[in-house]
Amino acid sequence: MSRYVCPFAELGAGDRESVGGKCASLGEMVNAGLPVPDGFAVTVEAFEDFRDASDLRTELQTLVQSMQEARPQQLQQAHEQAVELILHRPLPEEMERQISEAYTTLVQNTAQRRGLSEADAVKIPVAVRSSATDEDGDAASFAGQQETFLWVSGADAVLEKIRECWASLYTPQAISYRASMDATEGALASRISVAVQLMADADVAGVTFTVSPTTGDRSVIAINASYGLGQSVVSGEVTPDEYWISKIGPTIKESRIADKAQEYVPNSDGTGIELRDVDAERRSQACLSDDEVIQLAEIAVAVEKHYGTPQDIEWALERNADGTNNVMLLQSRPETNWKKRKDEQATRKKEPNATTGLISYVSSASKGA
Amino acid sequence: MTQADMSQDTRPATEKSFPNPYEIATPPGAEGWEEMYSYHNRFLETRRAEDSQKTWFRNSLHFPEVSYPFDHALIDGSFTGTGVTNTRVFALPPALGLDVRVINGYTYMSTLPAPDEETQARRAEEFSQRAGYYFQNWDTLYKEWESRVTAAIRAVVDIEVPELSEFEPIEKVLEDRGPTQGNLFLAGYHRLVEAGDQIWTLHSEFLNLGYAAYLQFLTLCKDHFPEIDDQTVSRMVSGIDVLLFRPDDELRNLARLAEELGVSDAIKSATSEEELNTALEPEEAGRTWLAALEEAKDPWFNFSYGSGMYHSHRSWIDDMSLPIRAIGDYIDQLRAGDDLTRPLDRLQAERDEIVDRYRELLDEDDRPVFDEALGLARTVFPYVENHNFYVEHWFLTGFWNKVREFSAKFVEWGFWDDVEDIFFLRRAEVEEAVYDLQMAWGAGGTAQGGYYWPAIIQRRREIYQALDAWTPPPALGPVPGDVSEPLTIMLWGITPETVDRWLKAQDGGSSSTVLEGFAGSPGVTEGRARVVLRPDELDTVQDGEILVAPVTSPSWTPVFGRIRGAVSDIGGIMCHAAIVSREYELPAVVGVGFGTSNIKTGQLIRVDGDAGTVTILEEQK
Repeated sequence: MSRYVCPFAELGAGDRESVGGKCASLGEMVNAGLPVPDGFAVTVEAFEDFRDASDLRTELQTLVQSMQEARPQQLQQAHEQAVELILHRPLPEEMERQISEAYTTLVQNTAQRRGLSEADAVKIPVAVRSSATDEDGDAASFAGQQETFLWVSGADAVLEKIRECWASLYTPQAISYRASMDATEGALASRISVAVQLMADADVAGVTFTVSPTTGDRSVIAINASYGLGQSVVSGEVTPDEYWISKIGPTIKESRIADKAQEYVPNSDGTGIELRDVDAERRSQACLSDDEVIQLAEIAVAVEKHYGTPQDIEWALERNADGTNNVMLLQSRPETNWKKRKDEQATRKKEPNATTGLISYVSSASKGA
Repeated sequence: MTQADMSQDTRPATEKSFPNPYEIATPPGAEGWEEMYSYHNRFLETRRAEDSQKTWFRNSLHFPEVSYPFDHALIDGSFTGTGVTNTRVFALPPALGLDVRVINGYTYMSTLPAPDEETQARRAEEFSQRAGYYFQNWDTLYKEWESRVTAAIRAVVDIEVPELSEFEPIEKVLEDRGPTQGNLFLAGYHRLVEAGDQIWTLHSEFLNLGYAAYLQFLTLCKDHFPEIDDQTVSRMVSGIDVLLFRPDDELRNLARLAEELGVSDAIKSATSEEELNTALEPEEAGRTWLAALEEAKDPWFNFSYGSGMYHSHRSWIDDMSLPIRAIGDYIDQLRAGDDLTRPLDRLQAERDEIVDRYRELLDEDDRPVFDEALGLARTVFPYVENHNFYVEHWFLTGFWNKVREFSAKFVEWGFWDDVEDIFFLRRAEVEEAVYDLQMAWGAGGTAQGGYYWPAIIQRRREIYQALDAWTPPPALGPVPGDVSEPLTIMLWGITPETVDRWLKAQDGGSSSTVLEGFAGSPGVTEGRARVVLRPDELDTVQDGEILVAPVTSPSWTPVFGRIRGAVSDIGGIMCHAAIVSREYELPAVVGVGFGTSNIKTGQLIRVDGDAGTVTILEEQK
């Protein structure tokens, strides 16, 4: 690992501190042999050094701390000021060099793999995403550590989006959240890493739970999927198709096909994404074939097996012209609610009734008690 | 038969209810049906207040048809067996037996209320000692049980019906001077009745312990995997090689032997045992095959076409048409290149694989409990699966035929014309006839029976037909508050959903083209329906049809090789139609309720064994 960048392949779950949760998890998956779009982490140290290279750290800290009990309008002004500072303060030369080099290596290797010319390499789009160090996803979201930019191409654009990820720590909401913290707490809450990753050009994308989200049954996989990029599913903008699968097999238990009105696709100038209507014919069709559902289920089982606990997985599926496809995992997090549901279930079951009564008698008789 | 604790609670202020048993009208032409059944099976006017407060479920799984008066003795016996086992033998803490009533010839049952807490605690101590002994010595006790039940079967077959000859044999007078043939006739009848009574204690001896152990495993699985379906749990437990498949295996073996001996064509052209003998006797090879057939028949052809509980269903050994046709079908399959072996290894591997996969998903701490419950369930299950062959098929085939032997004697003495007529008499009435015959034979006079019974039998035959044409409601009395007792659900397919379905059907009937039941065996298929209401209609089933029946019997197994799917009115996922369909990898929906009344032979239907639905797609051609 160099100071400012590190390829996913060199990362693992233990690197959360230095590259944030998302990058550590992607590295872990790459090393488990799971299909993850290639990429690299811009380390936590990068943003730290960027702030330390000038007076930026102090300026930002003063700005935030002055916002205790501020009015919305003041927060908005502070936000704009912070963004201005972060976007325009020069990057340390070495940092800029390392990031640009990592980006160039990524796209050129990819171009080579895909049989594209070197000139076309810079057109290969990447995603730039925040990678929060905070354990708590809700706090991370509150603290503005969950920015994502899609369809970014060219080293300059990538550098700009990395800065925008950093700047996302200073939304009015995030400033207000950290305003009352002391310097040490504030510094901890503003550590952030950024992931730069090849874009998955998804025909279909979605989320997989390796445990039933309704009952906590661990033999069940639930897949939510819709057309286009995964935003529409994650954000709840469309009602996705639901596929319920038993891990034993695996076999599809049930498919609930929804009317999927919209999808996110790359926009025509190749610099971002847009939401468009799904044509009438496709809307009410299953967005995944049975084979694809099983393929996704098998991958989900492998992911869960690797982590040893139920997972909540974001994925994208690219269909190739020759009929094959690539499934890519964008993120995997532990699914933590199942244990709670299981406990609730157990409590409910423990309320005595005819069945539990009979069973406890049988159980003790069979043990010779 | 088993015991189930169906809740007696009624939903408060509900307007819906099933018909009150005291307000059910007698079908026209069946007036006087009550005299066909003993007073203890009737809804007595003097007990109206109590009995109309209870919910009565029709036991259509075991007793789908109108009971013949004599046959009802066996129905009583089966309820006595389960009751005494729960109540007096093992002292099952939360459950006693069932009350039994007959309305218009159909059998209804209602659970006795569970004992109070203090009594349960007392019973628990007894239960632990008694059931504990069985659970811990299961295999030894089961082996011993097999020899006891086999002895009981042989004892019935061996009962001698005295000839009632002109003179007592000379040896009797000169040597042993024992009871006369008249005394022995009564004693023989008593022994038969006793055997038909005691068999039910044997039948129930292990049964509810077995179900309870299975239930323990089922509940454990549902705790960990709330969405697991019952058939998956049953696949983890059930045996691959059970006695109920054995008769069918014998037919496959006979088909193979026929090919080896080169006698297949003679067999294929025969439709009865007589024709078989005529065709095969002349040649050595044919005689070899006939000897193998004789060997297979005892005990494996003591296999009822129905549940075994009705004398009228008969068994393979009485009517060889199904086995002969099935052997012919198997010969065709052999010639088409199928080796007819059941994929035992594959089924076994699949079963182990399912267990491993679920076990893997458990936390390590939970695995020992899972292993223990599965182990116990597997220990008890051979009994649960095999008792049915011993009792309902093998024993009862012998029992009914022994009753016929006694009846033949009455026919000889002019009591009635047909051997089958005896079944229109109640057990106690047959005893009266025995005394009549004993007196007449002893004195050398004419029995009164021939002047008394024919008219009664004729009238009862008419009543029987009128009752047979009547449709009994699935339940009587108030709607039960909750049906959560898993034995009820597992064995009879009675769930809160079925109760709702019955209520809906009662409110104007289901005219819908989609019928719901339980997913008995996975897969989806479409085909023409063949409704088979009685075992004797079985030979109408054509290749590629979908069998629609009130309930199916294990002896129908060979027919499953011909059909594309199965639908049954009655039964949960452990019922025969489901088990055999899974074995044959045929889609099946069971416990549909009104399948045979809604589906007509010839209609194109879709059986969705994954969703548990049957759809009528098109009227008959």
